Amino acid sequence: MRRLRAWLLRLAGVFGKGRRERELAEEMQSHLQMHIDDNVRAGMNGEEARRQALIKLGGVEATKEIYRERRGLPVLETFLQDLRFGARMLWKNRGFTAVVVLLMALGIGANTAMFSVVNAVLLKPLAYNDPDRIVTLASLWTKDGDHGQVSAPDFHDWHDQSTAFEAMAYWDTSVTAGPAAGYVHATHVTPEFFRVFRVEPIVGREFATEEAKPGGTGAVMISSAYSASHFGGNSNALGHTARMAGRTLDVVGVLPPGFGFPDKTDIWYPANSFEPETESRSAHNYLVVGRLKQGVTPEQAQTQMTAIGTRLTEKYPDSNQGKNVAVTRVRDEMVSNFRLTVWVMLAAVGVVLLIACANLANMLLAKAVARTREIAIRAAVGASRGRIVRQLATESILMALLAGAVGVLLALWGSRVLMALAPADMPRLSETGIDASVLLFAFGISLLASLLCALARALQALRVDLNKSLKQGTSRSVGGSVADRMRSALVVAEIALSVVLLAGAGLLMKSFLALQNVALGFRSERVLVMSASVPASDLNSARHATRFYKELLADVETLPGVLSAGATMAPPGHTASDGGYWINFLPKELNVSAPQAVFSVVAPGTFATLGIPLKRGRDFNDGDTYDTPFAAVVNEALAKAAFPGKDPIGHSLYCGLDSMNPMKIVGVVGDVRQHGPAQPPSPEIYMAFQQHPLPATDLSVLVRTSFEPSALSEALRGKVHKLSADVPVKFTTMEASLTENVAGPRFRTLLLGIFAGLAVCLAMAGVYGVMSYVVGQRANEIGLRMALGANPGDVLRLVLRQAAVLTGTGLVIGLAGAAGVTQLLTSVLFGVKATDPLTYVAVVALLALVALVASYIPARRAMRFDPMVALRYE
Amino acid sequence: MSGKADVWQGTLALMVLKTLDTLGPLHGYGIARRIEQTSGDLLAVNYGTLYPALLKLEQEGYISSEWGVSDNNRKAKYYKLTRAGRKQLDREARDWEQTTAILARFLARGEGQS
Repeated sequence: MRRLRAWLLRLAGVFGKGRRERELAEEMQSHLQMHIDDNVRAGMNGEEARRQALIKLGGVEATKEIYRERRGLPVLETFLQDLRFGARMLWKNRGFTAVVVLLMALGIGANTAMFSVVNAVLLKPLAYNDPDRIVTLASLWTKDGDHGQVSAPDFHDWHDQSTAFEAMAYWDTSVTAGPAAGYVHATHVTPEFFRVFRVEPIVGREFATEEAKPGGTGAVMISSAYSASHFGGNSNALGHTARMAGRTLDVVGVLPPGFGFPDKTDIWYPANSFEPETESRSAHNYLVVGRLKQGVTPEQAQTQMTAIGTRLTEKYPDSNQGKNVAVTRVRDEMVSNFRLTVWVMLAAVGVVLLIACANLANMLLAKAVARTREIAIRAAVGASRGRIVRQLATESILMALLAGAVGVLLALWGSRVLMALAPADMPRLSETGIDASVLLFAFGISLLASLLCALARALQALRVDLNKSLKQGTSRSVGGSVADRMRSALVVAEIALSVVLLAGAGLLMKSFLALQNVALGFRSERVLVMSASVPASDLNSARHATRFYKELLADVETLPGVLSAGATMAPPGHTASDGGYWINFLPKELNVSAPQAVFSVVAPGTFATLGIPLKRGRDFNDGDTYDTPFAAVVNEALAKAAFPGKDPIGHSLYCGLDSMNPMKIVGVVGDVRQHGPAQPPSPEIYMAFQQHPLPATDLSVLVRTSFEPSALSEALRGKVHKLSADVPVKFTTMEASLTENVAGPRFRTLLLGIFAGLAVCLAMAGVYGVMSYVVGQRANEIGLRMALGANPGDVLRLVLRQAAVLTGTGLVIGLAGAAGVTQLLTSVLFGVKATDPLTYVAVVALLALVALVASYIPARRAMRFDPMVALRYE
Repeated sequence: MSGKADVWQGTLALMVLKTLDTLGPLHGYGIARRIEQTSGDLLAVNYGTLYPALLKLEQEGYISSEWGVSDNNRKAKYYKLTRAGRKQLDREARDWEQTTAILARFLARGEGQS
């Protein structure tokens, strides 16, 4: 207690020093006077009395010093003194400070912005109750390790046979019409869905058994956002209805704000109630989520599910051969596509910061050399080495904190830029923001950066030879060789790091160009895409829906500027459905494992509209109706796989998209890259939309125009509304949706390109700085050489040779590093190997050129030295 | 220098407390003189030992101080024992007596070990 009290008083003693100092002086003065008075009383004369008293009492200043130390906290006081002094120094060199702080702030800002994205996308826990227990279950295709959708019978077996889960549900999305025929995300879910997420309606209730059972009446639950925007609040929502698939359903519950799984779902309705689920074990139409029981790890669940999957394979070899189960934490599943991208970007921007730090360290080193005398004087009057290093470190930290503050401001802006640049489908991107952990990160890297910068300087300061530096002037370097070597090492590091970044950026760029140049198999220019969803709940209403498309297409073709029109379930770049197919023979056992193909449903004219070449046979036509024999068109990949060396026309085809009716192959068309440019075409079966009415309710209408396609959207919307007020539509163009397809690679390429550009600029500044310094240092030597007859060419070579050694070392180290690091990119590269020699040659050439330019300017200066000046100087 | 011993800190604090206990509120000079006199001028108390000791005692709350006027009309800072200081004095005095008694017994050569 007493100790604490004393300590607190001492802490207080750090402040308000002036008054205490005066009091102490007064007290000692009065003490002295009393002593003198006594001495006088004892018979001494005034002078002698004073002398005796002073001798007796000892050194006043020394006492004051002891007293001061006892009064305050010396460590804290030293720190405050350092801080004051540091601030003064920074203020004195305002220009220098501003440059350093700004440079550092740029690095910190970029890193913080990038980290805010990493934080939102990868690190922050999901906003669900106990999110680590929520997993996805997918069909695991053992041949290639792919995860896929799940068939309903498989799901029911998983659900009934497993014990690791508290709840398990499947879901599937569809679109539905809101009141204003807008697109609304709707999801149909099995009963345990909400228990998986542990959410309960905040108003109303969950689905009743009556509503959720197969063939039941159905009902909907809605999101808080939907409730607010459509019903003006939660309390009003109950008792309203929503139109779903041509039926009017009661709103029975509102879910809490923030819940919208999957994506931004607004409406949930029971699966398998009025829309029957597919009963084939080979029809993989659903996505499955589950909640692990308390204490069960995903690995344990995986073990159990693998056993179940193996059992199912044994029991249903026809449909489940090569198929098992994959259990993945939902967060890992959500970000699996972006994890690598985001980490690589964070690493890249970290490297930029490192390079910036190297530059700063160089600047500070130069500054430190200029301050050598100051430091030497401090050492001479008794400052310990620790004290000097502490002083320098305090200055650096002060600078870092300033830079950190500016950096956070930059990051506020930067994270918004990143959000705008990032692919729209990056999950949780909208949660990006500056929160406590981001601030902590910014603070951490600021300190780290400042320590990195201060380290070089402190090491250098410690080696200063007191005598030498006091004797010498400031114009020449002192303790030079250490500082010089450090500067060279820093520049080498800068160049090496730049090589790594530049190589990465180069590879991505090349890969991006390759992606852009892939022949997609269709022509994307001037094609308008209108997604539409016609409400339908059963075969009859679905057949009605196909009539809508038929009339619309006939109508659209009359519009001026329309070259051709079609409609498809899945425009290239997306796939809606896939599964097994059988040729000429449908086995008795329905669940038969079979070769896989992508399924699509199209209207006549689609191939022409997309410019997909017809290789054999014919396109669909209006005669391919529900009442005529079913027809199919296959792509060349399927023809090659299923009919090697034979003509597929006339053969029959079976697949379980919606019915098992045989389809006669009437045509073969060219391959299209259905999964985007990075993946080769899969076998594909096109079906006539009138013959498959159920999947044909949601189609994308494609219109090839002779002018800018988006100009047609209003006319098209008008046509739709004339036909039906109940059909939600949304527009895009084929080109725009393709751009969306390569948004991920573009994001990576753009960011890494920016970072690499920054790195090169910084490296250039670094080389320039060091070479200018070197030329300055060697001015006399160069002058002397010129006086002795060296011509400017010799001088130029002399300087450039030194630069070449630095650059060469950096390039070699950088190449070695790049060869290792770029391996990480392998999985995102397309059409280019991580070891692509051309890229490396280009990188080396570029950096060599940059270094040459950066050292040429100081070298030119050296050439113009006047030998007389140098000689006089000596 | 003059054969007078310097006081060491721990005992000085005790002497200060005892002095204030005996004489009541007193200024620094008075305390120093009193200690020197009591020691029979064997001890020398200078600023360097006295004032830091007073500050420490004040920080620990055993004494308090305020400005006053001395007998011969000089402004001086008067120190006063607090209640905690009085307790501390008792405790320290007891400890000290014990220590000296032990040492005395220890130093009294001979058979006197009980």
